[in-house]
Amino acid sequence: MLYINDLTKKYGAFTAVNHLSLHIPEGDLFGFVGPNGAGKTTTIRIVCGLLRASSGQVRIGGTSAPVGSREMKRMIGYVPDFFGVYDNLKVREYMDMYGSMYGMHSRDIAKLTDDLLELVNLSDKKEVYVDTLSRGMKQRLCVARALLHNPKLLILDEPSSGLDPRARVEMKELLMNLHAMGKTIVISSHILSELSEMCTSIGIMNSGQLITAGRIEDIMQQLSGGKRIHIRLVSGMETAVRILKEQVGTVVESVRENEMIITNQGTDEQISALIGCLIQNQVVLTGFYREEGSLESLFMQLTGGGGQ
Amino acid sequence: MRVRWNPIVKKDLQIAARSMRISWGLFAYEAVLTMTFLLALAVIQQQTGSFYSDGNVYHHLIYLFPVLAIAQVCIVTLIVPVITASSISGEKERQTFDIMLTTCMSPFSIVLGKVVSAVIHILFYVVGGLPIMALSFVVGGMEWSNLFYFILTIVLLSVFSGSIGIFCSSVCRKSISAVVLSYVFYFVIFVLTFIPAVIKGLFVNKGVGETMLLWLVNPIIFFEEFFMQIMSGESLFAGNFDKSEVGFLTYQLARGKTWMFVSGACILLLSVLFLLAAAWKVNPMHTSSARRPGKKK
Repeated sequence: MLYINDLTKKYGAFTAVNHLSLHIPEGDLFGFVGPNGAGKTTTIRIVCGLLRASSGQVRIGGTSAPVGSREMKRMIGYVPDFFGVYDNLKVREYMDMYGSMYGMHSRDIAKLTDDLLELVNLSDKKEVYVDTLSRGMKQRLCVARALLHNPKLLILDEPSSGLDPRARVEMKELLMNLHAMGKTIVISSHILSELSEMCTSIGIMNSGQLITAGRIEDIMQQLSGGKRIHIRLVSGMETAVRILKEQVGTVVESVRENEMIITNQGTDEQISALIGCLIQNQVVLTGFYREEGSLESLFMQLTGGGGQ
Repeated sequence: MRVRWNPIVKKDLQIAARSMRISWGLFAYEAVLTMTFLLALAVIQQQTGSFYSDGNVYHHLIYLFPVLAIAQVCIVTLIVPVITASSISGEKERQTFDIMLTTCMSPFSIVLGKVVSAVIHILFYVVGGLPIMALSFVVGGMEWSNLFYFILTIVLLSVFSGSIGIFCSSVCRKSISAVVLSYVFYFVIFVLTFIPAVIKGLFVNKGVGETMLLWLVNPIIFFEEFFMQIMSGESLFAGNFDKSEVGFLTYQLARGKTWMFVSGACILLLSVLFLLAAAWKVNPMHTSSARRPGKKK
């Protein structure tokens, strides 16, 4: 859906985005992660046609239309991190104005407005002045506005910033609903736990460069060098250590009184066979589990502990 | 055929119509016009009784029209930059401009929409001032078509002032800076265009020559010529200089109504140039931004 090839943005001597290449497949919910000043917003602004790139290409949905062209704008729905609203304009009029800006017919706008306001749970606010809405409601209205022209790609720059916990949950649910409907979504966010719950894939940026991108579990596996497994046992520790050390691709990381931690690079079936082997050799297990990595630890590891 | 409104015009008018600013603005406009009318009437009455007057008040009442018209021109000239200079920078300050730029509206449509809404805004005032203007027609001597031509020139002036305001608004990040810059442009166009002619007239001593062509874009000369044509049917320049003094081109322009029409066209052309420059400036694809996008938290 979104192809970014060798994108660079320079401000004088400062390089905000440095040779960034990225592909986001259709239907993906992609999370852009990085510390402040990493280049996420700059990248998003270039994709949305709000900033001219120093070099590189951006393509959406296979079209060769240049960034900032009308064709490209039709394919993108953009929700900025900070946005204002107009005084003395009602929710319905707000939607009508932006629909008209996309050249839509007022009858279509009216129908879509009803549907979208229902989707973002603002149906009862249709005749309410926009400036009287809460921050969370304004954010959801902005998402509805961005969806009005049925874009192929929805881009949200830190959609949860400044929202209270309830509004964050509502926003997360809304985005997950949109993803379930098949929309391709790109989100930049600082709230990593939220991204790890929502996103199918992520891209981690630091100092203008894309450090890594892909499915969250794949990245975690690549970085940890295998799966960390905790094994708890009652007896047979020595036997267990001996058997595990004999296995190719298995490293015994630590051994405590009743627990050992191993790293295994094999598949789930191979790990299952390994546990079976321990049981067959009279090792009495009370349990075992695979350690789940967190996006926070991954982020800190990749950005050298800096950032947020 | 269905007429499509520019969404920006519709939005701006909707917002303006709901705010008290337009009501207070209209009240102030009417108040200034009424005071001007009463002051002009008092002066006319005083002059009618003077030694040099023929004692016929009706000969002087005809001057109510240009006085009121000039008052309106001055008000419009002063308020249009205030309305338009905050249009683009106001959207930037309100953080709504980026969203606007991501829609299918072209930058030129955006700036045009802003100017059209400013012109309509001004027309509210002008139409509101019509009853007072109509008083100058009571005694006769003026044609209603003059009022129509006057409204056309006010629209031209609004477009001109609005385009300067929009351009300044696209250049400046703050509305107040845009208003100040608009008045700087005013100073250059309204005042500095006289300087070459003054220098030439004073120091070269061969008449103002072709430097007068700069006056084609000066609305002061345009309106002076317009009122001269309306009141006396003669050109401002008629009989004021000979061909050898001003050069062939200026001399030809100064005959009949040619100057007025050419000047109007030049002012309109300059307005279009300002609008194109503003559209160029707000288009992110044309701006090599040296400023990093900052987070406004």
